[in-house]
Amino acid sequence: MSQYSSVFKDESKLDINYVPPRLPHRELQLNLLNKFFRFAIETPGKMTQRVLIVGKIGTGKTVLSQHFGLSIAREAQERGINLNYVHVNCRECGGNFFMILHRTILEFYPHFPRRGYSEAELIQILMQILDERNAYLILAMDELEALIRREGPDPLYSLTRIQEGRLKAPQRLSLICVLREPKYLDRLDASTRSTLQRNIINLEEYSMPQLRDILTDRVVLAFRYGAVSTQNLDFVSELAASEGGDARYAIELLWRAGKYADASGSSEVLPEYIRKAAVSVYPVVRKDTVSSLSLHEKLFLLGVARLFKQTGTAYMSMGEAEDAYAVVCEEWGEKGRGHTQLWKYVKELSAMGIIQAEPSSVGQRGKTTLISLLRVPASDLEQELSRVLHKRRM
Amino acid sequence: MSIEEVFSSKGRVKILRILAEIGELNISEIARRAGLNYATTNQHLQLLENFGLIQHKKFGRIRIFRFNETNSRAKMIKTLMDAWGNK
Repeated sequence: MSQYSSVFKDESKLDINYVPPRLPHRELQLNLLNKFFRFAIETPGKMTQRVLIVGKIGTGKTVLSQHFGLSIAREAQERGINLNYVHVNCRECGGNFFMILHRTILEFYPHFPRRGYSEAELIQILMQILDERNAYLILAMDELEALIRREGPDPLYSLTRIQEGRLKAPQRLSLICVLREPKYLDRLDASTRSTLQRNIINLEEYSMPQLRDILTDRVVLAFRYGAVSTQNLDFVSELAASEGGDARYAIELLWRAGKYADASGSSEVLPEYIRKAAVSVYPVVRKDTVSSLSLHEKLFLLGVARLFKQTGTAYMSMGEAEDAYAVVCEEWGEKGRGHTQLWKYVKELSAMGIIQAEPSSVGQRGKTTLISLLRVPASDLEQELSRVLHKRRM
Repeated sequence: MSIEEVFSSKGRVKILRILAEIGELNISEIARRAGLNYATTNQHLQLLENFGLIQHKKFGRIRIFRFNETNSRAKMIKTLMDAWGNK
């Protein structure tokens, strides 16, 4: 009998940050992007472009943008054009415009000072750098909701209008905005909206056969030959399709099923492991969702999860949640945030769909926000949060 | 400029080593890494710039220093620093 140490050949190919060489069922959109940005290679400096990519979770927005960015930068380089693609996740920057600009500049000057500039200055400096190096930039802002939510319409306005102040200079800054909810665009002013909405790429959810194609690609890259049968691939695709065509979910499902197979010493990913994985991966609490939260958001959520586990009730009041959070803070040696900040967290978390928050209705004295967990078992949420928090501490 | 003058100060050598290692840095960061205060660092940097060994670029209020790539001596010093290593 042959001894298998792992069903994986290269686990990193299942990582959410991995950009595969081929994007099945996104060829059309990739082509469209290439058309939109054709000028960047043919007549650089003559114009700029703004493109909006909209789609639900796991429809390939990020990977589409990154794949395009890598390929166009490569092509430009071959033609001797200094075209840079920079991908910034707005939520990771806390929706902070300053941080987004700073991260962009760090791509050019890795030791650029963190303080001492205003946002307007940073924009100027970015343009100065581009001018000095005769460089062009495609700035992709992922999870744009975070920026709009925090800073309102101004940052996008200034980014789309930079060129107006530099009439004779070459045009250097193009934008790709990646967005989950097009409704956030309503918060922008009409002029910014109209400049952005001219080029929209809408990504539909993947269907089951499409998911299967994506997974087939990944299985070849990540798993040993014969570790995942076609039948089991269909099973994973079906599960993911029923969860709203979320490819990221499908890939994580596959990864977890592989992990379960490894843990059981099996040389093949069996349906049983997939089922096990499906129970453990909730579309709402995925690794990346949880890890993208700030420390205190995590602590707050941990408090909420623990309290729900203890009490077994469906709802808790804001006050109860705050008390639970205070206990968690003490445990982790952190100074607790105030009520207003926590209330903001609740808003954020509910906008992300992790918890549900609604005002208390008639029949209860006073007015409070009632918090509930919709689809995630509290114990699983607690486990995941504790894991992430412990990892952070190490 | 004499070579003694450049290498006679521990601070200056430190600054050259930091610039060789990191590439481009602003004064505060150079000062922090070299364990010198701002004024001393500034003096050293000015001297080195007068020698033509380093150059700076201005971003608003902040100056970012790096080796002067066009100066052959600067290039040789950088090679020396690289060869010497971090310690």
